Amino acid sequence: MPELRKDPVIGRWVIIATDRAKRPDQFSSSAVEKEELAAGEKCPFCEGNESLTPPEIYALRKPGGTPNGPGWSVRVIPSISPLLHIEGNLDRHGHGMYDLMNARGAHEIIIETPQHLVEGQLSKEQIISSINVILSRIQDLERDPGIKYVLMFKNYGKAAGGGHIKHARTQIIGTPVNLKRVKEELAGTKTYYDYKERCIFCDILKQEMAAQKRVIADSKYFIAIAPFASRFPFETWILPKEHSCDFYKIDRDRIPDFVELSRLVFGKTRKAIGDFPFNFVLHTAPFRRDIAKRDYWETIDYDYHWHFEILPILTRVAGFEWGSGFYINPLPPEDACKYVKEAQI
Amino acid sequence: MNELRRDPVTGRWIIVFSDKIPKFSDFKVEPHVKNNANCPFCWGKESETPAEIIAHRKYGPPNSPNWTVRVVPNKFPALKIEGDLDREGIGVFDMMNGVGAHEVMIDTPDHFRDMGSLSHVETEEAVWAYLARSIDLKRDKRFKYILIFKNYGKSAGASLEHPHSQLIALPIVPKRVHEEIEGAAKYYEYKERCVFCDMIREEKEEKDRIIYEDEKFLAFCPYVSRFTYEVWILPKRHQSDFSNMDRDCVPCFARALRDSLARIKTLLSDPPYNFIIHTSPINGHEREDYHWHVEIMPKLSKVAGFEWGSGFYINPVPPDIAAKNLLSVHIEEK
Repeated sequence: MPELRKDPVIGRWVIIATDRAKRPDQFSSSAVEKEELAAGEKCPFCEGNESLTPPEIYALRKPGGTPNGPGWSVRVIPSISPLLHIEGNLDRHGHGMYDLMNARGAHEIIIETPQHLVEGQLSKEQIISSINVILSRIQDLERDPGIKYVLMFKNYGKAAGGGHIKHARTQIIGTPVNLKRVKEELAGTKTYYDYKERCIFCDILKQEMAAQKRVIADSKYFIAIAPFASRFPFETWILPKEHSCDFYKIDRDRIPDFVELSRLVFGKTRKAIGDFPFNFVLHTAPFRRDIAKRDYWETIDYDYHWHFEILPILTRVAGFEWGSGFYINPLPPEDACKYVKEAQI
Repeated sequence: MNELRRDPVTGRWIIVFSDKIPKFSDFKVEPHVKNNANCPFCWGKESETPAEIIAHRKYGPPNSPNWTVRVVPNKFPALKIEGDLDREGIGVFDMMNGVGAHEVMIDTPDHFRDMGSLSHVETEEAVWAYLARSIDLKRDKRFKYILIFKNYGKSAGASLEHPHSQLIALPIVPKRVHEEIEGAAKYYEYKERCVFCDMIREEKEEKDRIIYEDEKFLAFCPYVSRFTYEVWILPKRHQSDFSNMDRDCVPCFARALRDSLARIKTLLSDPPYNFIIHTSPINGHEREDYHWHVEIMPKLSKVAGFEWGSGFYINPVPPDIAAKNLLSVHIEEK
């Protein structure tokens, strides 16, 4: 019998089609395409091609290097085709019954390596430096009062919206409004907190640790689970074991532990299903400045719990699901968890 | 400068490009090479599907050829019709059995012509099947919502080529529907008007996003389009439940649907698309604050709509330009 499972945070129901369950090799992704650079096209993210990007915002380079020259290990640039622009005003206004504003905000690319490498080829140290740079960027954006939320994500593979150039990078978007997806999640955690006076994610963690059916791996400070109401086959969440609502306030000593666990999870998943297209998305609390007084955010420090979601794009049903918000997952997360856990790397 | 537009119903913000509008050639559509060998939905292959639920045919027994539209249970249903819901909790989690109906509506016996190339009369047949199945399933007390949709083309999720639509009767109200209903209810509470009726008035006044209009229906590219070349079709008269559509509205609705799809097909070289009929949950009465409609979402670019990824829908073609382009193509009057 298929099951309907409810995401306890958002309240979204997902069909887990147990009868259609597929083996992991049925998801093996020929979907990650080979890189095809056009004739004469150079990767703008490689060392030596700095002039092909807009001037850098920040770079981690050895002393003595010049900005926008080689010699860096992590480099931050404005997006080549930005969705939001840092200049100008928001200018909120109405258009008849509709509301709109200018797309003001930040859209930055963090280039995680000077070499032409993909995500799976980066060393632990390289990823740690990138995360440190990302944290500094988020801290910097917090100082801009026009930015309410920072999205941080990675799109890997064409099916996941990744570009045709395969060079490891992360995007951050500073948005002038709080996004619907974020608000929904916050509303869900607040409702639970109002009722139980506990963080729902902490409760999920405890239950998963006890049940051990959906825990893919854990480390001293972090845990990776296949969520109960997974929307996608091999969906994985990585959460800090200690309660905290802001990713950017993470204790920097914990980053190596986080990187080790993430590498393990990605490595095992790749072992199980091959190189797969995915979105990797940070879920964290919005910036709270003077608006902290607003009562709906009063308990956010206690009710929200930052985490990362890994969303593999393996099934082709996306269009309908975007529209209806209703997901059909052909692989029960318990099975996905088992396959990934059993993969040897 | 790009614009952020707010969806008046759900409150979702969407990025609409105004700086760099992509050219048609930027939307690569994978060509559909169609092949009807081994298609279980063609005439003569009736025994390869589960036994039909209903069909329109002039003569001949059930499960024989010569039908014009045929509804069968999905061979690989996401939900099953038998059994009870058995709602239960496991700690923080809630679940229930996947009870529901999952039906396939084969729109036409012609393997090679999708709705955009059918005639109005043929499309009407499919619409009658939608209505007949909705009305029947509404009577089952276990169901809360009836979702009718179409996936056309592989990348829009269609696993079989033969033109078909699907119906899923659900024991719950899907999240997106719930949100939409709540958003519309909030607007109604504030203004005492239906937000969709307001949208119709606004679109008619501005005119530049309309692609189809007759006495009963309006089709337009919504001001807050999430998807490139997204089209909505709304009945002009307020009505919340699709299955309550008057009989004399069916031909107009079929024409609006077929013409909109034909424009998308002609302009964008037969792209994959999804359409979904948004209707109110099953509860027996019409509501003042909700308005049924169809949302057509062509699947054109990878830039468009990866909301779960980034939290944003990004639409690189402003809807007034999309509407102008859709109107500029010539479609056959059938």
